[in-house]
Amino acid sequence: MEKIITVENLSRKYVTYTRGSGFRESLKSFFRRQKVSVDAVKDVSFYVGKGDIIGILGPNGAGKSTTIKMLTGTLYASTGNIQVMGCDPCRNRTEYVKNIGAVFGQKSQLVFDIPPIDSFRMNKAIYDISDKDYKERLDLLVELLGLEDKIFRPTRVLSLGERMKCEFIMAMLHNPDIVFLDEPTIGLDVIAKQTIRDFIKKMNEKGTTFILTTHDLQDVEQLAKNIIIINKGEKVFDGSIDELKRNLGNKKIIELTLTKKADVNRTGETYDLGIEGAAVIAVEEEHKLTIEVDIDRISINQFIIRLAELCEFSDISIKELPMEKVITTIYKG
Amino acid sequence: MKKYIILYRESIRIAFAAASTYRADFILQSVIIILSNILFPLMTWLIYGAGASFEGWTLYQVLLIQSVFTMSMGVSSMLFTGIVWSTMEHVREGTLEIILIKPVDCMGYLLAATFSIENIGVVFGGAVLFGVALFHLPVPNLFLWFQFLFLFLLGVLVMLGINLLMAATSFKWVANSRIPELYQSVLRFGNYPQKIFSKSIQAITSFLIPVAMVGFFPAAALLQKTDSKMYIAVLPCILFAWVGIALYKYMIRQYEGVGG
Repeated sequence: MEKIITVENLSRKYVTYTRGSGFRESLKSFFRRQKVSVDAVKDVSFYVGKGDIIGILGPNGAGKSTTIKMLTGTLYASTGNIQVMGCDPCRNRTEYVKNIGAVFGQKSQLVFDIPPIDSFRMNKAIYDISDKDYKERLDLLVELLGLEDKIFRPTRVLSLGERMKCEFIMAMLHNPDIVFLDEPTIGLDVIAKQTIRDFIKKMNEKGTTFILTTHDLQDVEQLAKNIIIINKGEKVFDGSIDELKRNLGNKKIIELTLTKKADVNRTGETYDLGIEGAAVIAVEEEHKLTIEVDIDRISINQFIIRLAELCEFSDISIKELPMEKVITTIYKG
Repeated sequence: MKKYIILYRESIRIAFAAASTYRADFILQSVIIILSNILFPLMTWLIYGAGASFEGWTLYQVLLIQSVFTMSMGVSSMLFTGIVWSTMEHVREGTLEIILIKPVDCMGYLLAATFSIENIGVVFGGAVLFGVALFHLPVPNLFLWFQFLFLFLLGVLVMLGINLLMAATSFKWVANSRIPELYQSVLRFGNYPQKIFSKSIQAITSFLIPVAMVGFFPAAALLQKTDSKMYIAVLPCILFAWVGIALYKYMIRQYEGVGG
């Protein structure tokens, strides 16, 4: 696959100030502030293929936004090399940003007091979009996002979901090759989230590359082809969702409803089924069990046979290991 | 350049659209802005009416200086002042990235996007005062008008420099809303005949922070009271604007934003 973004040994240091709490510390810092050097991003390398949707994950303060800022050319790297579409984003920023778009879930590009259509016209002027292209793209984007007459109403009267859809139009009117999405579904209801995810998929099919940072794992599961996890400024994972899940071993979650009270060996807070490769991770009302099965050690077929020998059950469901668990484990290191 | 003209046109259109959305607020704001700017020249009227004066200067000569100052302030508030508050807000809230990801010069874009339609009234009010003062003074010839226009534009350039310097300081001095007040106080020196100040104040306001160019020097041209000092001040005026632009651009490059 053709590489559209190449990041090599990227690092970014910040100098910030710190002070303790209380009046004395405040007074002290008024005269002399203590400088602290922070490694926001440390030696991060990765690449993104053309037409990919990459999810960049990490806890708050991990360095995701700093990485995105460096990729968009709005922040210089301390060391390392970034090549996006064959150019360094920080050099000749004005030319580079013509081919990128961005949606920030918590920062609006729309002018609050006027209808979005007026903000779109401003972008038309900024990106030198011809009348023909502007009309064609606007009609397409409005249709895909189901906005129709909403773009003629003042932005302030629109719902959060409608505003976010308008942000996507702002970011994509000039038909960028790469779009950076920073928490694009934050605060949205399930329907608005799904509309936006479907829109991203459709635009991706048309060839747009998306770089997504989010805390919403549904976004990642539905959209991202590959994931990069950054924690404490360092890259801790780079691969597909399947690889990520396998990171904690090849495991499945079995939810089991027994016909009678669970007859499992209980030691304090832990339960033991007596089946190798299976561990009870939760017991509810003493007859609903959640079991984690390591299918590298025991197949699902073997597990169910063993389970049927041990107990009677009225319901069973087999699920993938929840992303939350995988991510939390990686975040905690 | 064409792009920035289109951007400016769009910004003016947006400013009109926003003003028409909140009509009552727009009218009230315009009236308050006009009153607060026109009140000062009217005070001069009252002072002269009470028998006091600036020695060697008639009422209409002083009013001419103050009307030129008002017009200059109006033009500057309409075109440049918005960038000060907008930059402060963007830096404090970490939203400057929104502009940095656009293929435009950040300073040029912010200057266009913060066009303030409310201040058109100040330009108009200043122009009315200017007309009244000029009506009572000898009619200037074409050469004096050219001199006036040249010096007036330099005064506007000084205002651009001042506003950009204020905006640039907010990159390092986040949420510092008192700096504009300090600049406003210094600016007021341009409102009076320079001769009433001591030599050191005259030197500072002519060459260091050339605020005399904002009101006094252009008016003096129409009054045929120019001297060589005014033309020497051309260089510091250009330098002042250049420093403002250069510092603002430097601060943009240094911008690091805030946490995401």
